[in-house]
Formats: sequence, C-alpha cells, structure tokens
Amino acid sequence: MARLDIGADDLIDNPTPRVPVSLCLDTSSSMGGSPIQELVRGVNLFYDAIDEDDDAHDSAEINIVEFNSSAALVHDFASIERLQRITSLAANGLTAMGAGVNLALDSLEKRKATYSGSGVLYYQPWLVLMTDGAPTDNIESAVKRVVDLVDAKKLTVFPIGIGAGADMKTLARFSPHRPPLRLDGLKFKEFFEWLSKSVARVSRSTPGDTVKLDLEGLAGWAEL
Amino acid sequence: MSAAVTLLDPVEFLQPNRRLFIDTNIFMDTDPRRAGGLKRLFERGQGTILKNGNPIVVPTKVVGELTKQSRLDASNETEERSEAINKAAAALTFLDSASKVGLIRKDLGDDTNPYADDLFLQLFERFAGTYEMCLLTHDITIKLRVRLLAHRLGKRLVVGVLTKDGELQVDADQMLFDRGMRKYARHESRLAEGSGTFKDESEVATLKPLLDDFRKAFRLRESGVNLKGRVAKPLAPKRPAGDFHQANPFTAAAKIKPRDTALTFTSLPKEGDQVMWESAAKGGKFVLGPLLGEGGEGSVYDGGDDTVVKIFDKDHVTQHRKEKIQLLVGRGIQAKGMCIPTAVVRNGDGEFVGYVMPKASGREFQRTIFNKRKFEKEFPTWKKADLVDICISFLEKVQYLHSMNIILGDINPKNLMIDNKKNVFIIDADSWQVEGYPCPVGTPMFTSPAMLGKAYAEDLRTMEDELFAVATMLFMIVMTGQFPYIRTGTDGDMVQLIKEGNFAFQYENRNNKDQPDGDWKYMWSHIHKPVKDLFWHTFHKEGKRYAKRPTATEWLEAFRAYRSYLGDKRANFDPMSNDVYPIRNKAFRPDTPIQDCPGCGRKNAIAGIWNDASEDYFVPRQCNKCRATGPQTVRPAGPRRMPTTPAAADCKDCSKSFPKSQLTYGRCPTCTTKANSLDPGRLCIDCRQPFITHDHIGWFTTRFLDVPKSHAAIKTTCPPAPTSPRRSASASNAQQAPMGFWARVKSWFQGN
Repeated sequence: MARLDIGADDLIDNPTPRVPVSLCLDTSSSMGGSPIQELVRGVNLFYDAIDEDDDAHDSAEINIVEFNSSAALVHDFASIERLQRITSLAANGLTAMGAGVNLALDSLEKRKATYSGSGVLYYQPWLVLMTDGAPTDNIESAVKRVVDLVDAKKLTVFPIGIGAGADMKTLARFSPHRPPLRLDGLKFKEFFEWLSKSVARVSRSTPGDTVKLDLEGLAGWAEL
Repeated sequence: MSAAVTLLDPVEFLQPNRRLFIDTNIFMDTDPRRAGGLKRLFERGQGTILKNGNPIVVPTKVVGELTKQSRLDASNETEERSEAINKAAAALTFLDSASKVGLIRKDLGDDTNPYADDLFLQLFERFAGTYEMCLLTHDITIKLRVRLLAHRLGKRLVVGVLTKDGELQVDADQMLFDRGMRKYARHESRLAEGSGTFKDESEVATLKPLLDDFRKAFRLRESGVNLKGRVAKPLAPKRPAGDFHQANPFTAAAKIKPRDTALTFTSLPKEGDQVMWESAAKGGKFVLGPLLGEGGEGSVYDGGDDTVVKIFDKDHVTQHRKEKIQLLVGRGIQAKGMCIPTAVVRNGDGEFVGYVMPKASGREFQRTIFNKRKFEKEFPTWKKADLVDICISFLEKVQYLHSMNIILGDINPKNLMIDNKKNVFIIDADSWQVEGYPCPVGTPMFTSPAMLGKAYAEDLRTMEDELFAVATMLFMIVMTGQFPYIRTGTDGDMVQLIKEGNFAFQYENRNNKDQPDGDWKYMWSHIHKPVKDLFWHTFHKEGKRYAKRPTATEWLEAFRAYRSYLGDKRANFDPMSNDVYPIRNKAFRPDTPIQDCPGCGRKNAIAGIWNDASEDYFVPRQCNKCRATGPQTVRPAGPRRMPTTPAAADCKDCSKSFPKSQLTYGRCPTCTTKANSLDPGRLCIDCRQPFITHDHIGWFTTRFLDVPKSHAAIKTTCPPAPTSPRRSASASNAQQAPMGFWARVKSWFQGN
C-alpha cells in the first residue's frame, strides 16, 4: 500500500499552480492476475515520470481511488515527493463504478477547497477512470456530476477501457465531448507515459489557458 | 533689463508690507563664492526685522527637509555632499536660536503638500495681491515658476540668491531662461542615455512646458540649447558604454503591421549545414554547430564564439519575424545580458530562416528562483539582497530597452535566465514588440487586465501593459515565485484574479483576511517600505499607481534604495529582513528584542510584540514554527491561545482571532490601545515629543499622504517643554488656538 505524510508546508510553500489528478481504478475480481500487476507497474511508472519532469514535479498532485464491491481511497492527494510507490492492489469483488467516481469527485472537491482555503493556485482537475468491465451499482448521479463539471470546464476526464470486456458505452456516458479510449492490450505503460507528458504540458501552461492535449500521442496504445 | 543680473538690497523685503522666504538649498549651499551671505543678510536685516516684527520665513517643509538631510550619514558621501549635510545640521541649530529671538519664523507650513516648491507657489499666488514677496532659492525650476507667476499676476514677486555680501542677486529673464534650458538639457540627456532617474523624468516633464510658456511670456529668443528631441551630445555620459550600446531608439508611435504571414523556403538548415549570415556591417558563411535544444518555435544550434543560432521551424518562418529581426540587426544594438539578434541567417538559397545572437548563460527563473525547493537547492547561500540585485539587473535591461522604445511583451520566468553571479539574461528577443510588429505571444500571469482576452498577435501592447508585467515579475522575484494576486478563496481562475485587482497582502491597516497561508505574509512584511508601497499601489485596484504603473526607472530607484537599506545596519534593524524566507513579521522598532528560538534554535526567530498597556514588549517563548508544529521540547502553557468560540473574528491590525465582543471597530483590545496611543517613533519637529497616534498615522498612510511632522501640522499644540526656558510672547501665540494653515498665514500677514 502507498504511504504518505501529510505536510501543510509542502502545500503552501510551493507557489506553483497545482494539477490535481485522481486515478479512479477498477480493482474488481476480473482485474486479478496480470491486469492488476500491469496496472500497478503503470501507476508507478507514472509517478516516476512525474517525479523526473521538472515542471510536473512541482505541479502534479495525485490520489488513487479504487472501486470493487465498494469504493475506497488508496491514498489521498500529495505531491510526488511525498508519494511512495504502490506495491500492490488487491483485485476482488464487484464493480461499484458509481461509488468510485463519486468518491473521486468528492476527493477532488475537497482538494480544491484546500487549495482555495490556503491560497494555492490550481488547474482544473483531471479524472482518470479505468475499468475492465461494466458497473454493478447505480452510476446516474456520478455520470451527471462528471458531465456537469466537464461542461462547465471544471474537469478533464479520461475514461479508459481495459481489454475487450470493458463496457465502452457506459464509459462514453462519462465523457460528453471525447470518446472513451480502449487500452490496446495491457499497454498501461504507454498510457501512463502519455498521461505524465500531458500533466507536464499542462503544468507548463498557465491556469485558465486552453491546453491542447497531444492526442496524436495516443495512437500507440489506444484503439478507438 | 539689459544686464544679466541685478543686485538688490534684501532688506527692502523686510518692510511691513513685504515678506522674505528662504528655501532649503540656500542653507545647504557650499559654494565658496557665496560663503557668508546668509550671515550678512541677518546682520543687515536684524534691526528691520525686529522693528517691524517681520521675521524671515522658513516654512516647516524646509525645516523638515533640513532635518531629513541632517540625519543622513555623511561618511560615505562626497566631500561636497558631506559638507552640505553638515550645513543642514548647522542651519537647524541656527534656525532654532534665530526663531527664539524673533528673526525667523519657522512654524508655517502645510504638510499635506509634499513639495516645498508647490507650497511657495501657493503662498505667492494667494498673497501676491497683498504683499511684495521674495524667495531666496537656487532652484531654477521654482525661479522660473515664480517669475512666470509674477508676470501673470502683474505683481512683484522676486526670486534670487544671496551674494557673499548678503545682497540679493536676481537673474534677468533671458539669463534665467538660458539656465532653465541648460537644466532641462542636463536631465534630458541622462534620460536619453538611459541612466535617468525618476527625478530626471519629473524635471523634464515640468520644465518642458514651463520653458515654453516662459519664453513666450517674456518674448525671449530661442536658447542655444535645443529643446526638441534628444540632445546630440550628452553632457555627462555616465553609463559605461560597454554595458549598453547607445543607438537611435525605434519609433514609438508605429501602427500595427498587417497580419503576419508565413514565408516560403526550400529547406531549413540543420547541424553541419552551411548558412549565410549578415550583420549590420558585414556578412559571410558558416556551418551550423551542434544542436543545443529545441523550443516551441525552432531549434537552437551552436554558432561558435559564444553565439547561438536560432533556426525557426516551418510554422515560424514568417514575414514579421524576418522584418523585425532585420530591424534589430540593422540597428547594431549590443547590450550585455540580452540576446539581441546580431545577424540574419539565410539558408543556401538565400531565404530567411533564423538569426545569430549572443549565448545566454545561467538557467531559467522558472527552474531556479521561482520555487522555494529549487531556490534553496540552486542558491543556498543567497540572501534577500541577492534577489534585490537580480531585480536591479533585470530593471537596468528593461530600462535600456524601453529607452529604445522596445517592448519586451512576453515577460515570463522562462524568458529570463539567471547565472550564479546574479547576472540576468533576457532571451527570446524575436518576440519583442518593435515598431509596428506585435509580440505574438504572452503569458496570462503577466498579462495586464486591459490586455487579457485580446489576441496577443493582433494587438500592440501599450507601455502600461508592459509595466504590469514588469511589476509582476519584480514581485515574483522578491517573493520567489509567488503570484501577486494569490489569495485564499479563489477557484484557480488566474484571469479573474488579475481582473479583480484584489491584492491581498497585508498593507498598513487594511483587512488581510485573504492573505495566503504559509510564510508568504512574513516575506511580504519584511520588504522595504517604499518598494512595498509601490507594489501595493500598483496591484491593488484602489492603489494610486493601478492605472499609471511605475516605470522601470522608478522601480530601479526604489530597488536601489532597497539594496542600500539592506546594507545599512542602522536603518535595517531587523536581522531577519535579509532572509529570503523569514519566519515572522518584521520587528516593530529598532529597540524590539529579537532572540533565537530556545525550542528549535533558529536564529533571530522570535521578536518581541509591543504591548501598549504595559508599555513593554511581550516576548513569545517559542517561534512561529515551533508553535505551529508543536514544540520539540516541552509544550508551554500557551498563554496566548484564545478559547475557541463560534463568534470569533480577526483583529484588523494583528489578524489574530478574538471573540467578536472583544473587538472595537474591528480591533482587539491590544491593537485598540496601540491605535489610540502616540507613536513613540515619530517626534514633532518643533518640540521633539511624540505627537501623533498610530490610528491617525494610518489615516494619512492609507491615503498615501505624507504623515505630518509636527503638532502644528495636525492642528494640535506642542506641550510646554519642561526643561527649556519659557517661550517668548510671540511664540506662545502659536500654541494657543489651533488654527488652520491659511488662517495662521492670514493672521500672520495681518501682523499678529
């Protein structure tokens, strides 16, 4: 499991505008075996890439929400300096995607409130939703929240299907303007590399700027 | 008048229906040709003064200026300056004794007007109909103004200086005009050379129309000095020519060029390809060196000899870039610390593809000083004074570019580099706005409210837009990367923050509830007051400089003063003020006790907090850091902790939380007492006693007015001095009824 120390100084001593990124990950039983291992490897690689990028290092703040039969916070938002790499995620249970997305959105709201209350500038947050199946709980409220935020330009969402069993129609409901992407095989590594570059790109811009995501870079790992 | 000067007897202005005034500079005159003139004046005039009860007037403003001058440290000054400073001190002693015997009247003044010059003008205009008046001064500007006023009103108002024998020497109109022209030329040439200060700017702005009016009013011939345009040969070139090359400035008033268009070309050269170069004077061929880096607009190659070559990528080979670079190259500008194009680069087919420029050294601000973690890693030994040096280095370059009518446009922490010797390098010259070619890029954080929302490439930036970016950059250097409009309660929308103009850092008695968490407020607290004033007035929508932002020259003056303040142990009494990351507010006064923290051992971490009730300092037992994180040693009883009650509010002065019931006009009991108590650090210039409350000081300072300097100026009277002998009858008059300034002047003129 990931461990971290909460440090207030870390938050406020750094004047760099933050990009909060919530990784909302499916850890239901079907993810067991190589998918979950590849996912963990991909997440750690993401952390490493953020750590190494001069700009993203000071900007990115990442949390992980997992959902199976229920939703839980794997670790709360922290700068990359304070994040230890995750060693494993356990795959079991159902796919409570609605609960997972709601928890991820709640954690983002809370983080934004912390930024606002301390006087820290930030970019509108990112939500990365990854699943290999279909939801087993009610997703209506979660869908509405995500769509409202995206429409208000207060959230950038990346719904990612893992493997052939991923319910792309459901994922599409979470992404009003951009079709969801299906991961090509288990190319987590390529995806997270791309994600870290995108975070770095955003952190080189100014909050409020429209940042063009490098969608061409997606070709390596995604099939539409 | 045909003679160049006329000699008059100053005693005639001591007659009952006349008045004689003396300006500061007469007392500080060190010219041996006029030595002893003041003494002779008093010898000649004392009988008349006493007989008529008509003392010579030295307004409080002049006394104030002399006091200020006399307190300067003369040891580091030139011999002449140091003599003048000593003269100021001597003059004060003289004025004291002369006023006691009724030869001098020095209690007249109006402290709401910061300039003695304006005071004389107001006075003369107001009473020209009643009295003939004379002002002794060396200041050519005020001489011109008074002469012109006399002409306009058709009254006798005389300005002159004293000769060695105490005679009044008055310049003829033409001579005064010629001297005015020379003064103008002197200031103008300093501006033209880029070494001008705010004072030069304001003198030029005042003198130009004044001289014009003067010449017309007195039908004078044009002076030999050319009033129009830049002066051909500067009288005193102060700027070393090695740093900034003087060239003709670009046109400031050019209209925007038609929209930029892409240029066609056959190929873009790469490492090892031969290219052609062409500077202002020469041309030739060379081979591109190794690729050094790739940016958003092109690639940079080694050009040998401390130069680099930028080759634009296909989207950035454009008409504007080509013409702009040709303009910059053609002017042959060479300036230290600026990567200005020195030669146009063409490919083998002779097509424009890039340019040669000097190599910058150092690393981007963004990667070095704009973040505490990076800053402490890169420059662990640097102090605040080093950051101020960086500001000065940056400003000198900006001032030079502005004097050339170049607008940098996209000032941001990636276009500025810093090396470990604190040299600032400005890169990205091809984006500068020159003549009608706009700067096509921008960074929202440094974009003025007026420019936000416009397309950078389709509008020319104004100097005001530019000065917003300059101010923001200076703030972010001093605060190592913090954004001026940071505050609590934002939703991350930077554009909105800039537009609303709510600068949240604590300033004087303003509410500071939106200040960001962390040590930023301490950093802000320690900034030298004049720089702080400029920042606040520039960034806050209610500030006086919000619409007319300080120029590079003004900032340069303020930051140079900041630099000498940090080096002056007497003025800068708080040892933490030179820390880049102070952990407490600046100490209240020079006598404030400052201690190391016994908990964590941090140096100077604890400063006493003044308590007006006990008239003593309360010294906290631990520093802010230990209090916030919990002590590593034993937790003290925590005497300052307030019980948490729901109806709590922050005291507007000290911003600590208090139950609402304890606050009076938003102040806690301690701060209320303080606000109503006299500031012991400010003494009345007449009686040398404290005279004004903290609250009253706040009233003036929040309005950016000068704080009055005496009891009289705030319409109160000096307390009787316990040790000095009883005042004379005429002096006690001034103590009785507090009268308005004009009332006092009037009563004095009427012979009271």
